[in-house]
Amino acid sequence: MQTQDAISAGYGGDKPSYLTNGSTLKSWLLTKDHKRIAIMYLISVSVFFFMGGIYAAFIRLELLTPASDLLETATYNKVFTQHGILMIFFFLIPAIPAILGNFLLPLMIGAKDLALPRINLLSLYIYWVGGILTLYALMQGGVDTGWTFYTPYSTTFSNSFVMAVGLGIFINGFSSILTGLNFIVTIHTMRAPGMTWFRLPLFVWAHYATSLVMILGTPVVAITVLLLAIERVTRVGIFDPAIGGDPILFQHLFWFYSHPAVYIMILPGMGVISEVISNFSRKKIFGYEFIAFSSIAIAVFGFLVWGHHMFVSGQSIYAGLVFSFLTMVVAVPSAIKVFNWTATMYKGSISYDTPMLYAIGFLGLFLVGGLTGLFLGSVGLTVHLTDTYFVVAHFHYVMVGGQVIAYLAGIHYWWPKMTGRMYSEFWGKISAMLVFVGFNLTFFPQFILGYQGMPRRYAAYPEEFQVLNIFSTAGASVLGVGLTLPVIYFTHSIIAGKRAGDNPWMLPGLEWRTASPPPTENFEEMPVVTWEAYEFGEENGLDIESARKASGPSVPVQA
Amino acid sequence: MQNSSWIPFFPEQASTFAWQVDLLYFYLIAVSVAFAIPIVAAIFFFIVKYREVEKFATPEEIHGSMVLETVWSIIPFIISMTIFIGGAIVYFNQYTMPKDAMEIYVVGKQWMWKAQHSTGQREINELHVPVGRKIKLTMTTEDVLHDFSIPAFRTKADVVPGRYTYLWFEATKPGRYHLYCAEYCGLNHSGMVGWINVMEQRDFDNWLAGNTSSQTPVEMGKDLFENKLGCASCHAGGANQRGAKLEGIFGKEVKLVGGGSTIVNDDYLRNSILNPAAQVVEGFQPIMPTFKGQVTEEQLNALVAYIKSLTPNAAATTGAPAAPAPMGN
Amino acid sequence: MSTHDHEHHAPGLQHQFEDMKQQEESVSIGMWMFLVQEIMFFGGLFTAYLVFRFRYPLAFAEGSNHLDAFWGGLNTLVLIVSSLTMALAVYYAQKGNRNLQVIMIVLTMVFGSVFLGVKVIEYTDKYNSGLVPVTGWNKRTTEADLKGGADKKEKAFAIPFIETRAEAAGGEHDSHAKKPNPHGEFQWNYGSALVDYGLKKEKETGKPFLTESEKIGYFSNGVFDPDKYRDKIRLFYFIYFVMTGLHALHMIVGLGLMAWLLWKAWIGTFSAEYFAPVEMSGLYWHFVDIVWIFLFPLLYLLGRHFIH
Repeated sequence: MQTQDAISAGYGGDKPSYLTNGSTLKSWLLTKDHKRIAIMYLISVSVFFFMGGIYAAFIRLELLTPASDLLETATYNKVFTQHGILMIFFFLIPAIPAILGNFLLPLMIGAKDLALPRINLLSLYIYWVGGILTLYALMQGGVDTGWTFYTPYSTTFSNSFVMAVGLGIFINGFSSILTGLNFIVTIHTMRAPGMTWFRLPLFVWAHYATSLVMILGTPVVAITVLLLAIERVTRVGIFDPAIGGDPILFQHLFWFYSHPAVYIMILPGMGVISEVISNFSRKKIFGYEFIAFSSIAIAVFGFLVWGHHMFVSGQSIYAGLVFSFLTMVVAVPSAIKVFNWTATMYKGSISYDTPMLYAIGFLGLFLVGGLTGLFLGSVGLTVHLTDTYFVVAHFHYVMVGGQVIAYLAGIHYWWPKMTGRMYSEFWGKISAMLVFVGFNLTFFPQFILGYQGMPRRYAAYPEEFQVLNIFSTAGASVLGVGLTLPVIYFTHSIIAGKRAGDNPWMLPGLEWRTASPPPTENFEEMPVVTWEAYEFGEENGLDIESARKASGPSVPVQA
Repeated sequence: MQNSSWIPFFPEQASTFAWQVDLLYFYLIAVSVAFAIPIVAAIFFFIVKYREVEKFATPEEIHGSMVLETVWSIIPFIISMTIFIGGAIVYFNQYTMPKDAMEIYVVGKQWMWKAQHSTGQREINELHVPVGRKIKLTMTTEDVLHDFSIPAFRTKADVVPGRYTYLWFEATKPGRYHLYCAEYCGLNHSGMVGWINVMEQRDFDNWLAGNTSSQTPVEMGKDLFENKLGCASCHAGGANQRGAKLEGIFGKEVKLVGGGSTIVNDDYLRNSILNPAAQVVEGFQPIMPTFKGQVTEEQLNALVAYIKSLTPNAAATTGAPAAPAPMGN
Repeated sequence: MSTHDHEHHAPGLQHQFEDMKQQEESVSIGMWMFLVQEIMFFGGLFTAYLVFRFRYPLAFAEGSNHLDAFWGGLNTLVLIVSSLTMALAVYYAQKGNRNLQVIMIVLTMVFGSVFLGVKVIEYTDKYNSGLVPVTGWNKRTTEADLKGGADKKEKAFAIPFIETRAEAAGGEHDSHAKKPNPHGEFQWNYGSALVDYGLKKEKETGKPFLTESEKIGYFSNGVFDPDKYRDKIRLFYFIYFVMTGLHALHMIVGLGLMAWLLWKAWIGTFSAEYFAPVEMSGLYWHFVDIVWIFLFPLLYLLGRHFIH
């Protein structure tokens, strides 16, 4: 591997990697290194992901039969609520920003660390406190309000641990606020010489847009959940219809954040996909500025469409029309991205490595997710579709088909950088296929169920819906296998994986121009950027000739 | 729901705007397919045609194209506007309340639908309406949010505490259609379902006049118990049981909350239906709503007769004038 | 564990930065972003306030009339002066004048404490008058307490401004007499003067004076319902307590920051080269003041005395 190290374009040096620089527990728990914090996030977020996954498995098993037999309705209600809460607040929102963003943002812009490392560590601890409080509440008996906490059920009628879970989410919100704040500051002030705004990788642009949403949206849901908690304790409040309060106001405040939060959950994924598609096609991204600005456009318009969650809540017809119109407008930037990604592959040199397989899967699934979003944005159709399985299928296509797949693509893409090891390409490809097939089998039938009118959050359902539910459960088991595989081969890779070399795919991004895994200070000397984003030629300091000679097992040979 | 549609897994069309919603749906499917096929085809074409032939090749750079970007921004925008306009028109039809409609009041509560016709009839978890007439529902709830949803009519509306919301439809063919609560409302949300019975005007008039019944009291009571009043959702046994078990209860002595006991006889059953909180059997919460004003004397008798029939030989022990109780109901 | 390389760095420069300029810029953008999120945080509350203000203007005006604008105004003045001393603290930190810096920080803390003290007086009065919107969180009084009238502790502590105004208004406010409150419930003993006025106006002008939501919100079957009216005033007090409570919490955090600054200034940390912590804490302090500048008119002044 000496040759590999030699050919990397060399800001790495001989310093110990961030993983070996200190091995005590304290050196991890009190670290200010963004990379170590990212690894700790990786572990915690994965725990929440698999807990949420177990809940999902119970949901699918219960829905195998029309009657509520495996789980009582009371248990089922808690199971789907907790699935939603864990997955949304503790997995989807932090997954890409807190793990990949934390790890890569400074590397990509040529900085030693995030601008505010202590705040970064603080946000990890806040995440833990929020998470532990929530887990404590789940163990005490859980919560059964649905992840949306609609009043007055959540304030007055539910006998579950709404207060504790609400507090957990309130606290957790500040973790994402501080992460977003840190990213914005870092992108503004920490770019290396020559790293201009339009040389930034699109992953960074996507995180900039995401951070804006985190800062502007999260405080609103924080205050809303706080008001809800106060109302639960004091038994009086502004959401209580009995004294003239307004339960619909809760929905407005909640969705003012929670709709943009959907973009917190998808924009970073879009950033990952931009990276993967461009790098594995070895092609400059098509329409860089359009992808960059469409991220910002999505973040801004995302704040204007919250009312499309409330088309049937009794808001005025005219409000419904305005929100429907804006929803249609926000669809356009997403379409632009899909077109640009496709065009990027034109005349490229496309390799079928695992990250690329995931990215292609993302394109297909996000296409379905986006197009069914149009169904739900079209207000006349939504009256029929809202609160049915059509909605469930749609947001799983966007959240799982979009964000989770993008997250997996990203983890596979940067795994060699994070650990210095390769994983099994064979099993990686198998997993990508299983996830794609299993996912479609799980969620496509739910579109049809939704149009037939099967309401969501039902523990028991009429018999005519059973056939499609069986398909869905069967698909979920395939999906479950596909999602478990990476845990196994990633673990194997850490223990016995091949050394990856600093730049196994000969890519031009700054993160590939330091050691794998990088030293604590990221770069031995301050990098100076003289190339545009996504330029793959030798003239930008990539020693492709010797890489070709040296490329042995670490670059997979295609079948 | 009887599925008479020629497309598999497609819900029945049974209201005047159902076809509009379906048309919009098919238009959107067409748009989606028209978008997805070229993109998917292009992706597959590219990944095959331009697959890696030489490691770490440096293909020629293409920066982008203003013309293409403009085209693929404007075309989706125009198409999305057609979708918006189509949706807006349908939405107007769905949510603009007609003036000349027959009005029915609906109250949602955990976990049942109560409806009252302007002529005074009350129903629970059932709604009888005539075909070919505009029906306007004025709805509210006693507790949490609910949502009155009828997929066959392609419409729904939230029901909000502290205010009225409205829903209208005109059914186009007689039949029995699912009614769901579509807004999560707590424990028995999935049990908050019912039926919309669409009848010919003549049948509806008959139904209103009340001479629909040729049943025996026990049959009528069973029907009320299991369907019309929804008693079964709490008293039918199984895991969800929140109400006292009624099988074999008649003639027994039961302990009451707050001490004391009583013999379950006709009077106790009758009082428990009309004034449930007065004497609650030990081990249960006083959560049962009163049915005073919702059941006629005739129905009350039928209910008592049915509950008695759940206890073999009950008729003999009290000698009450009930219909012969069929065994093994 | 990353370590600070102090040997060739300026004092206070952290390892991830190249120079002081970059660090100051980062900290400053960070603080501004934090304030943006604070604005959104309070923004949710202001939205809630506005929604109900437009729905129940009379009840909100009535509730507002029973806050004392004197104390609110005094607090506004106190905070404005504290902003001045804070700004001076930053100024003297920049100048490297340790003594004046310390004095200014102490003064700022004194004004901050005065603000909180006044808040305690106000909250106590609400507690004694049964205006805390939560059942059981008010002073429990019985018939005997009122007849005896000799609760000296209460007399000494509470400032009875509501009674004073009632006297000034003349004898028409008989209902202002205290009533027993054995369960500590929210009480509204002050009549419905504004609604009466609104109804009179409607009769005189023939134009609607009350909003649609007020007609539903204050009346049962067309008859004025004091209980429903009380509930709307209760909403006002709920919002009042949440808003001023969260603001007070921010003040307490601010005082904590000041205490830390005081220690740092005392040991002479800050100089013309390094004063960013003072500046940033100053930004926070000014922000909290500005929130109050919005709270005071919205809660204490808007709709006040519009009968006259």
